Amino acid sequence: MSETAVPRAGAPRRVALMITCLADMFYPEVGERIVRLLRRLGVEVTLPAGQTCCGLPLFNSGYHDEATAVARRTVQIFRDAEAVVVPSGSCAWMVKHEYPGLLRGTVEASDAERVAGRTWEFAQFLVRGLGRTAFESDVDGPLAYHDSCHLLRGLHEGESPRVLLRDLKGTSVVPLPGSDECCGFGGSFSVRLPEVSTSILERKLANLEASGARCLVACDAGCLMQIRGGLLRRGSALRALHLAEVLK
Amino acid sequence: MTEPIVGTPLRQRAAQALGDRFLHEALDIATTKFITLRREAFDDFPEGERLRDRARAIKEATLQRLDEHLETLVANVERLGGHVHFATTAEEAREVVLDIARRTGARMAVKSKSMATEEIHLNDALEAIGVTPVETDLGEYIIQLAHERPSHIIAPAIHKTKGQVAELFSRELKRPGLPADPEVLTKIAREELREKFLTADLGITGANFAVAETGTVVLVTNEGNGRMATSLPRVHVAVMGVEKVIPSMTDLAVFLAILAKSATGQKLSVYTTLVQGPRRPGELEGPEEFHLVLLDNGRIAQIAGTLRESLYCLRCGACLNVCPVYRQIGGHAYGYTYPGPIGILLTAMLNGPGSVKELAHASSLCGACVDACPVRIDIPRMLIELRRQVDEEHIAPWTERVVFKTFARVLVHPALYRLGARIGRVLQRPFIREGRIRALPSFFGQWTKTRDLPPVAARTFQERWRDIP
Amino acid sequence: MTFHRLASDAPAGPALGPTARTTKAEFLARIRGEMAKTRGLFPASTAERPAEPRQRLELLRRELSERWPQTLARFRAEFERVAGVFHRVPTAADVPAALERICRERDARRLVAWPAEDLRVAIAPALGAAGITVESMPRAVPPEAERRRLRALIAEADLGVTGADLAIAETGTLVLVSAVGRPRSTSLLPPCHVAVFDRTALVESLEQLGLVLEAWHDGPAPPERGAVINFITGPSRTADIELTLTRGVHGPKEIHAIFVDGGLGLHG
Repeated sequence: MSETAVPRAGAPRRVALMITCLADMFYPEVGERIVRLLRRLGVEVTLPAGQTCCGLPLFNSGYHDEATAVARRTVQIFRDAEAVVVPSGSCAWMVKHEYPGLLRGTVEASDAERVAGRTWEFAQFLVRGLGRTAFESDVDGPLAYHDSCHLLRGLHEGESPRVLLRDLKGTSVVPLPGSDECCGFGGSFSVRLPEVSTSILERKLANLEASGARCLVACDAGCLMQIRGGLLRRGSALRALHLAEVLK
Repeated sequence: MTEPIVGTPLRQRAAQALGDRFLHEALDIATTKFITLRREAFDDFPEGERLRDRARAIKEATLQRLDEHLETLVANVERLGGHVHFATTAEEAREVVLDIARRTGARMAVKSKSMATEEIHLNDALEAIGVTPVETDLGEYIIQLAHERPSHIIAPAIHKTKGQVAELFSRELKRPGLPADPEVLTKIAREELREKFLTADLGITGANFAVAETGTVVLVTNEGNGRMATSLPRVHVAVMGVEKVIPSMTDLAVFLAILAKSATGQKLSVYTTLVQGPRRPGELEGPEEFHLVLLDNGRIAQIAGTLRESLYCLRCGACLNVCPVYRQIGGHAYGYTYPGPIGILLTAMLNGPGSVKELAHASSLCGACVDACPVRIDIPRMLIELRRQVDEEHIAPWTERVVFKTFARVLVHPALYRLGARIGRVLQRPFIREGRIRALPSFFGQWTKTRDLPPVAARTFQERWRDIP
Repeated sequence: MTFHRLASDAPAGPALGPTARTTKAEFLARIRGEMAKTRGLFPASTAERPAEPRQRLELLRRELSERWPQTLARFRAEFERVAGVFHRVPTAADVPAALERICRERDARRLVAWPAEDLRVAIAPALGAAGITVESMPRAVPPEAERRRLRALIAEADLGVTGADLAIAETGTLVLVSAVGRPRSTSLLPPCHVAVFDRTALVESLEQLGLVLEAWHDGPAPPERGAVINFITGPSRTADIELTLTRGVHGPKEIHAIFVDGGLGLHG
């Protein structure tokens, strides 16, 4: 599975940010924090213009021709990037795992392979790309980490976010029971079978409560939308944050 | 709980299941236990990963030469004195078994657990010709008495509490006042069924594997009913999907090493029974006739089809136990013989993509099933393929297709995308309370009924990019 | 019988007439047709089979005979883990006494057993003297009426005594090949099963089991061999009611192993 392999570390100094549609529209503060953090680490961050979406929702619902058109456009936008950083496990997975297949045999085929090979999920980039694991935080702990499905099982990345949390100064971390269990988002699943999606979410929230954590941390905007949406609706004092919101 | 009625939408069946408190608790306890047992078994088994890879390769290689292996199997079963029948459809498979029952004058058949016989609805057909089928696997026995279908591939009565079982036995077996004690209830089942085993004319089983090289049909069980059904009655019939054939005894050892561990965490099931034809002349016991019914029923068409990988399935149930959807709704809500992640694929295999136009979406594509599957079947990939077929063949509702295609159009036109954000900001104003959206009309209400939604940001990230220091 | 019908239910009434039956040729032709579409797309290989299994098994047996105490220790641990009860006696002559103890503990008076030449030890006389009847299974197949009597006897027996062809250490499994004089239900119908064996039955792993199975099927089967091979790993069990484990569902509730250090009589 070479296209999902982590890019060779060479501490790239210039990255293109793939903001993702959810972060762009709903969580721009996450994007902001990532840019500031990377710049503080001496990395130059560019934002190729005209970004929309990676196309995963189309792909997952079986609209593959349409997903291919989106993939083509995205590859064109990022074709010249030395490295692409994505604040979302599912979008990173889409680019790395599915873009090469969707664009195989087309004009963009080699670009797609190249972009796939240079794409990093954000936590992966910090730990494996830059070799930076020690950060500070002023978020009220304890924190508990939730594995998003695409990051954990698609990109085989359960370690980098945990390393970052483990080395975090200024707050504490506790394990989350069932951290590798789905939050119930699943894209359109969350509105096609909303009762089941909510029931799965309730299990996640119960686990969060049982963990003693005050804040759940995740690396995927979809998971956050689902989990935060549930916490807010319950009037819970617990929070759900993106990893970037936790690192100072 | 009562089972779903044909024609109710999946969403309704799921909601009904979610509302069943007993079921919810039973599912939680059972699936959690299975997950733990499986994990412990593999943690303790360093060769596990390597053997899973080998098992998958064996399944793949077998399919590459399926015809040869089947020829070898048939020749060996016949050499051992057994008979092999070829059933293209479920109806044909039923007919074969009914013919055997008629010809041998069977009046009662004991059945060892077999999903293949569930799949072809054999029990109803037997009843219709006056042969009484008696399920002997305790879980199957329970649901047979309750007139229900299995809700899990290996633990068919997982949805029933012990209280419900006690009540059921008291009523159906005319033994009033039975306690809700599994020991007592098991003992009663043992007594009731022992008599059936000893007097049955016909034993009907499935088969976990059939080893081509030696004509051996393999049953993996825990209770002993598999041994009884294959040794006590005069006639033994095994119904088996064609994909269960494996080439050699060496291959068998690979599968035995991972099957029970994946299903229940046991190193091996209590009984692994290797059946090699009918009783030999010098044997005191054993059936006089042995029949193997090789079942197609949609499998052969998948050799070159999108669902080819689902032919590797060992029917261990591991994917059910880890599936976030199955864990919430249980097996009956799926509405077909096979539930859970693999069940959706098998349903499509048996009944065509149209049959799963809703079920293909009964998944968040989380991938836990792939991790748990002993032969690493990539179920999410095939679910996405089924969704694609449903879209391409216009089985999905046209409203949905319009929405997605419009969405796709927006995504390749950044100006439309930016416009969409601006429109969203305007439209959402009446719905924002305290910085979040708590209720939205129509379709979007599906989310907001139970979860808050963040509003579209006052400035999207791309809009504020220039201002970030 | 009222059922709520599932979506996949076809009406299963009486057959509407003879269904055309698929022949082997037609069935295989369809398979070949589908296979042709995927030729060469999925390279994979099955498990490598041993070239000369019987020779390999001989070599294995010699190796195993040098480390049988470790193998036995592992077998015991695994056997006990699945709720087997393990006994060890110095010589074959000590077997009847061990059996008698087992019988007394559960008030077992009627035993069924493999014949002495298959058990490779004589148990009937000693047990008989202790008031425990042992019905040894016949080696020749008797007429129908006698077979029915034997069937009923086995079903009523308190305890069944057998040998074991293999004892797999990795899993605590006993393997019993049915044969002349070794009917299947001796280890199945009575509520207690006792298997007597010695070091020659020990193998270490499932992988080695694969080799044994290959060797056993390399060449024609011995005429005495039956049509079933049973692997037994602990007593019969189920967890079908609320995942609560109960034992002795259809098969025996207890399983005992008597290991004879000094070995049993000559191979039958």
